[in-house]
This record gives sequence, structure tokens and C-alpha cells, in this order.
Amino acid sequence: MSSVWLIIPVVLPILGGALLSLLRLPDKKRNLFLEILVLVNSAIAIACICNRPTEELILFQLTGNLDFALRLDGLGSVFACLVAILWPLATLYAFEYMRHEERTTSFFVFYTMTYGVTMGIALAENLVTMYLFYELLTLVSVYLVMHPMTKKAIRASRTYLYYSIGGAAFAFISLIFIIVLGNTTDFTYGGVLNLVKIGGNTQIMLFVYLMAFWGFGVKAAVFPFQGWLPKASVAPTPVTALLHAVAVVKSGAFAVMRLTYYCFGADFIRGTWAHFLVMSIAMISIIYGSTMAVKETHFKRRLAFSTISNLSYILLGVTMMSPLGLLAGLSHLVFHAIMKIGSFFSAGAVLHQSHKEYVDELDGIAYRMPVVFTAFTVCGLSLIGIPGFAGFISKWNIAAAAMEAGRDIPYAYAAVGVLLYSALMTAVYILTAAVRAWFPDQGSDADALKGVQDPNWEMKLPLILFMVTVIVLGLGSEPLMEILRTVAEGSF
Amino acid sequence: MTVAYLLGAAILLPILAGFLLLFTQGKWKNRTVKCLFLFLVFVITTIFSVKLMLVGDYQFPLWKLTDTLEVLVRMDHLTRLFLGMTVAAWTLGGVFAFEYMKHEQKEDRYFGFYLIVLGVLIALDHAGNLVTLYLFFELMTLTSLPLVLHNLSHEAVMAGLKYLFYSVAGAFAALFGIFYLYSHGAGSMFAEGGYLADISYTGSQGMTLLVLFLMILGFGTKAGMFPMHGWLPTAHPVAPAPASAVLSGIITKSGVLAIIRVVFYTAGADYLRGTWVQYAWMTLTLITVFMGSMMAYKEQVLKKRLAYSTVSQVSYILFGLSLLNVSGIVGALSHFVFHSVVKNCLFLCAGAVIYKTGKTMVKDLKGIGKEMPITMWCFTLVSVTLVGIPPTSGFVSKWYLATGSLETGMTGYAWAGPIILLLSAMLTAGYLLPVSILAFFPGHQYDYEQVQKREPNLLMLVPMGLFTIAAVVFGIFPGTFMNYLQKIAMTVL
Repeated sequence: MSSVWLIIPVVLPILGGALLSLLRLPDKKRNLFLEILVLVNSAIAIACICNRPTEELILFQLTGNLDFALRLDGLGSVFACLVAILWPLATLYAFEYMRHEERTTSFFVFYTMTYGVTMGIALAENLVTMYLFYELLTLVSVYLVMHPMTKKAIRASRTYLYYSIGGAAFAFISLIFIIVLGNTTDFTYGGVLNLVKIGGNTQIMLFVYLMAFWGFGVKAAVFPFQGWLPKASVAPTPVTALLHAVAVVKSGAFAVMRLTYYCFGADFIRGTWAHFLVMSIAMISIIYGSTMAVKETHFKRRLAFSTISNLSYILLGVTMMSPLGLLAGLSHLVFHAIMKIGSFFSAGAVLHQSHKEYVDELDGIAYRMPVVFTAFTVCGLSLIGIPGFAGFISKWNIAAAAMEAGRDIPYAYAAVGVLLYSALMTAVYILTAAVRAWFPDQGSDADALKGVQDPNWEMKLPLILFMVTVIVLGLGSEPLMEILRTVAEGSF
Repeated sequence: MTVAYLLGAAILLPILAGFLLLFTQGKWKNRTVKCLFLFLVFVITTIFSVKLMLVGDYQFPLWKLTDTLEVLVRMDHLTRLFLGMTVAAWTLGGVFAFEYMKHEQKEDRYFGFYLIVLGVLIALDHAGNLVTLYLFFELMTLTSLPLVLHNLSHEAVMAGLKYLFYSVAGAFAALFGIFYLYSHGAGSMFAEGGYLADISYTGSQGMTLLVLFLMILGFGTKAGMFPMHGWLPTAHPVAPAPASAVLSGIITKSGVLAIIRVVFYTAGADYLRGTWVQYAWMTLTLITVFMGSMMAYKEQVLKKRLAYSTVSQVSYILFGLSLLNVSGIVGALSHFVFHSVVKNCLFLCAGAVIYKTGKTMVKDLKGIGKEMPITMWCFTLVSVTLVGIPPTSGFVSKWYLATGSLETGMTGYAWAGPIILLLSAMLTAGYLLPVSILAFFPGHQYDYEQVQKREPNLLMLVPMGLFTIAAVVFGIFPGTFMNYLQKIAMTVL
């Protein structure tokens, strides 16, 4: 395919969203229009990935050698493909979920535009382009957090905005350094730093890396910049599920991957103090996230804390600074997206059908909503890392990467310990909810859930698909792993 | 490949039948038909398993999760031993439950999960590498959870969660070891005698010993080994009696199986002999043996007493293994079989008493032997066996354990082992025999006029009877069986 096609997945949703705000269609037609738009866009994106255009597409030049350009490489393909598959399903879910909300059109306008921007991050050819889309992502998604327009939501959106903009500022500093001290700003596997130009300034560069890690990591909720994520769970569930478990937060993780493997280069960082520090940051985030999730009783917030820890699983893989580590990060990026969106959708379905928000209100609800809770249980077991489900494979990869790294840097063994601690905490926070739902205490109030039932097909279909995917990938993921392995070795 | 299909059928049949039961909960009009259906499943599964046991040794990958992670199945003597015990106990426990579960609610759910666990256990016994072992170990924990919290009282649900979290924590500790071994070129299959001493294994010795200890500790959680025993006395008694029977008799033993696979089929006895791991492991098992008996001695609820007894008895097995010599292994394996038989029987007897009279405390059992003579005779006979009075089976296994302990020649431990075993045997007598004495000799204040026959029906009596006969026969004619175990022990060292 010609590389001109690459522009479509980025621009189509943005234009479509803008068009929607002008058209003012009635709900039914709007939904149809949106679903078709999103599906077409996904189809084009996936077609691009299957017949990959090799050359870049330069849209315009900012100055001198700063291009605004798109290109599809292996890493970008994985992220783009993930987003392209999940978005239509999440949109379908959102139709039913948002039925009774107000201002739905403006919600869907921004929701769809976010799709294009996320694609932009996946397809960006260089740091400058990615940075621009990264900022844009903050701006289009901030409305989505604000959407309920309650005081809490507005405050949460403000927090989100401050954190993200602040983070981007850090990232911007690294952008400058890369421009000055790199051979190019185009992403190149293995890094672009010019060691001659750096000369004796290695320490400064490491410091810059650390800042950029934190800067891009804000979106991936690394410690201590994780505060915005649990707050942002006041947003409608389609947002928390798709954006705060996949698109936005994974953009952060994706950006860190780009930064580490495609700008600075893993070799440059391996074994330095910065390496130790970023590993520690990831570990602390994991411990923090999963411990807080156990403490939290609000269902959606509990899952948000779980997201914090799981995102850092990805980063932990990444910080192993090896192809195996990148493979681990990538596989968890994909698997976590599916299982977490599945669990969030379950929590959302509970909220939508029964208005129950807290875990201790779930006694016996599984018998009222069997489909939703089967999906939740399957996704939850996968999150814990029970073998036979997808999560086990990615956790295995992370542990394998850590064990490999541990030969040179014994500190990496600690990562495996952290991983297992977190798995235990995951078991606690998932299974307490699941056991409550399936095996209610005899003393619990059976009437509290009168009339609650499974939602309609628009919400059930995505849930069932995610559940099946989690099982299928858990039982046999070699074809996918093979692709990810070539990507992680930079030969895709 | 017919073996693969047969194996698939043996694993899937109970699992699918279990799911069928779960999805048709409460829709079975005729209870007899349901029980016949269940019985049929048990019988066919047993036939399949026996056929598998007769095929001869085999090993092949059943499935690939990824290129490096495969589900490998393996049939050897150890598999036969555990598989045979599992299906036998499961079938008898199932038959007992046909009657027992009449007085519990939601029996369809119970039987559904009971069958699913059976399938998982058959697969677990077949595990041919660490990942397969871990896979089915976790699934076993999850699918047996509903058996523990079956009656859904607050106490049961809490006990269930305790069981769950202890088990999962243990499994994760073991998983650390699995990660380590795999990433250093070991663990992808079991082999008699282990292979960590081979050159191809690249792990450092210090780290390897640490992870082996973690694996023993982690898998030992299921076997109720100190300090991870806390869940057992809480979880086993709250389950319905036939479930407590298989939980104590069989599921705790999967921890034993896993440890055998790690120590003798992955690490190798030579690798561990004389290291701190052996000393630490031995110490923990001896502590558990003693502590379990003590706790059982002072416990007044019968099923809880039996659960503490399990804590103590399973560690006899682990103690035997930790000796790392032939006598120790023979003692451990024979005690595995004997204890499974005995403890299944004891819990079934306790269940029969609860079913007929509702009595759970030991002190309430005064004179129960007059009302339920056959039940209490079974109880008494297997108690005597467990205490280890010759010529019963318990004596045989303890003899081997003591010999093995003396053979190690480890300063202090060689003597401490037999002494603690002896002490614990006395305590065992102290916590089991008074039950029988109370039951048959209620004293002169007992009102003999009021005695009414309350013997349960054949569905309950036959399983108990068969277990009792097995326990007694093993004790009187141990020869062939012990030779067989000796053969296993020789190959794994």
C-alpha cells in the first residue's frame, strides 16, 4: 500500500467527530453513523498493518529537519492494531451505556476524535510528531473525564490536565536534547544518540532520560504521578475502560517504549544508575497500585488502582533493557488491554444495571448477571495470572525477562518478587469480589438486587468477545508471540 | 495417539459432566437418575484411568501454550500411585455423598465442582513438567474452593477465602522457583533422579537452593506444612463431610506429589542432601508433626480434630521425603496411601455421625457406638491403623520412616525424627482412641434404654467399609506393595 493511506486512520475519526458535532443527528442514526465510521477506520488501519507501507509519509516540515511525519513500523503496528480492534467494540458498548446520559453527542464527538489522536501516537514517525499527538491526546480526552459535569468530575479532569501537561513538559526537555544530541529524531531501533556529540555528558543524558521516563510515564501512571488515574474513574465507564485502561495509559507506556528502545537505546541505559532508578519506579508503582487496590472498596476505583500496577508491569518489562523485556512489555500491553477492558466493562455493566458501586454490595449478583460475571471472573483470573488465561503468558514473559536480566544485574530478581507479591494482591482484590458475587454469605440481603439482570447485547457482545479472547490467547498464543518477538527484536 | 484421546477423555469427561450439572442446577426431577448418572461418570472415569495406568510409561506434549511453555503429560509409577488413589477415593467419596448431601442444600453445585476437581486432579497427576504441574495446581485450588465454602455460612465463606489466599500465596512462592529454573535451562520435563547437577543447568547454587526451598514451602502449603498450615484446620472442617474427606485425603497430597516432582524429578536427591535446605525442610516437617498432634489432642470438635491430625500426618510423609533415602521414600509413599485411606474413612465416619445425629463435639459422642456400631467399628479400626499399632498399615510406614531417619546419620536429626514420630504416635492414640472408648464404653451413667439403632444405609456404609478393609489388608499383607514402592524409590534416587 502507498504510505498516503496512513493519514486516513488518523484524520478520518477527527473529521468524522467534527462532522458529527455539526450534523446533530437523532440518536439512532448517530450511533449507526459512528459505528460505521469507526469500523471503516479500523478496517483501513488493519489493512495498512497487513500490507505495510515501508516508506514514510511527510505531512509538513516544522523547521529544518523537524518533520511532521507518519510511518508504520512493528511497534506502532502492534499498538495501532490493538486500538483498532478495541475501539469499535468499546463504541458499541458506549451506545447502550450512554443511553440515559445527557450531552451524549458531544461525548461521542470527543470519544471518536480520541481514536484518531491515539492512532497518531501509534503511527508517529519521530519524537516531535509523537509529542504533538501526545499533547493533543490530553486535550481531546479531558472533556471525556469532565463529561458527568459533577463537581468531582470537573476536579478530576483538572487534575488529569495538570498532571498530563506537566508530564509533557518534562518530555519536551528530552525532545530538545534528542534533537541536539541525536543523529536524527526519527525512531530507530537501538537508539539515535550520537555518542560523539554527547562526549562527557553521559550523566546529563541519563538524567534527561529519567525526566522523560517520568514525563511520558505520567500517562502510564507511574509513581509518584499516579494520582490522576483513580480520580478519573468518575468518568463514564466507556472512558475509564477504553481510555484509562487502553488508549491513554497505553500511549504513555508506548511512548516510554519508543523513548527507551528507539531514542536513547537500551544499551545506553543498561546498568547505569538511571536503569536502577526506573526499575525501582516501576516496582514501587506495582506495589503501590496493587496494595491500594486491595484497600479500595469502590469497584471501579479498585480496578483503576489495578491498572496502575499493571501498567507498571509493562514498564517493568521495558526497563529490563533487552529484547526479551520489550517482548514482555508488549505482550502485557496487549493482554492487559483485553482483560482490563473486560473487567471495566463488567464493572460498568453492574453500575448501569444495578447502580451498585461498591464491592461489598455485590453479594450474589453473579446469579442475576451471569454473563457479565462470567466475563469478569475470566478476565480477573487472567489478571491474577492463573495459567490457562492470557495474563499468565505475559507475566511469564516479564519474569523470564527479569530472570535473564538478573544474571548481570541481580537487582532484577527483586522484580520477580514484586511481580509475585502483586499477583497475590491481585488474587485478593479480584477474588474477594468474584467470590462475593458467586457465593454470597447466607446472611446477605437477597432483595437488594431485585430486578437486576444482564444488560442487552450491545454491552454483552464485547464482554463475551473479550472473555473468549482471553481464554484463546491463554491456551495458545504462539502465533501472536512470534509476531511480537520479531517486533521486539527490531526486525519487523 | 490413542493414549492421548484416552487421557483427554479421562480428564474431560468428569469436567464436562461437572459443567453439565452446574448448568442444570435444580432441574433434575429424579434424584435417583442423577445419582446413577454421577455414578456412571465415576465408573467410566475409573475405567479410563485404570486403562491409562496399564498402558505402560509414556510421555508426550498434550498442548502448547507458547513455544517454550508446553503442557506435558507423563505416566510413570508415581502417576499410577496417585492416580489410582485419587479415582478410588473420589468414587467412594462420591457414593457416600449421594446419601450425605441429602441434608445439604444446592447439592447439584457440590457434585458439579466435585466432578470438575476430579478431572483437574487426573490431569495434575499426569503433569510431566513444572508448568503443567503449576497449571493444574492452580486450577485445583480454584475449582475446589466451592467445595470448602459450600454451605455459604459466613464462617464457611471466610474459611474458603483463607484457603484460597494461603494456597495462592504458596503457589506463587513455588512459581518464583519455576521462573528461575526455566530461565536457567531446567524444568521443562521431569526425569528420575533430577538433573540440576548437570552441566547444562546454569543457575548458581546458592540461588537454586533458595528457590528449591521456596518451592518446597510453596507446594507444602497445600500439604499443610508449618508455617503455612493455618488454612487447613479452618477450611477442612467447614466443608461437607465427603468433601472434607477428599480434601484431607487427596487434595493435601497433591502438595506431596508436587514436592516429590520438584525434589526427586527436577532437583535430584543428591543436589539437596546435606544442604541447609534439607535441614530446614526436615525441621519444618518435624515441627508440623508435633504441633499438629498437639493441636488435635486439645481440639474438641471432631472434624477439626481430624483436620489437625491431617496437618500432622501429611508431614509424616514430607518428613519421609526430606530424608532423601530409600527407606524414607518408601515410608513416605506408603504413608501417603495409608493416610489417604484412613483419613478418608475417618471423615466419612464423622460425616455419618453428623448426618444421623447432628453431633459434632467429641464429648457428645458418648455411647454412639451402641447406636451406630458399624460406623464406629470402622472408625476404631482405622484409628488403630493410624496410631500404628502392629500389624496395621500405619506401623509399616512408620517403621520405614524411623529406619530411614536413622539411616541418614545426620547428627541430632537421625534420633530426633524417631522420637518425635513416637511422641506423635502417642498423641495420635490420645486424640483418636478416646473417641472410640467414649463411643463404645459410655460408662454406667449412660441410659441403655434409650439406645436406638441409627446406622446409616449402605450408600454410606459401603465406602466406609471398603476403606476400612483396605487399611487393614494393607497392614497385614504389605509385602508386594512395599516391594513396588521400593522399586519406585530406587529409580528416583
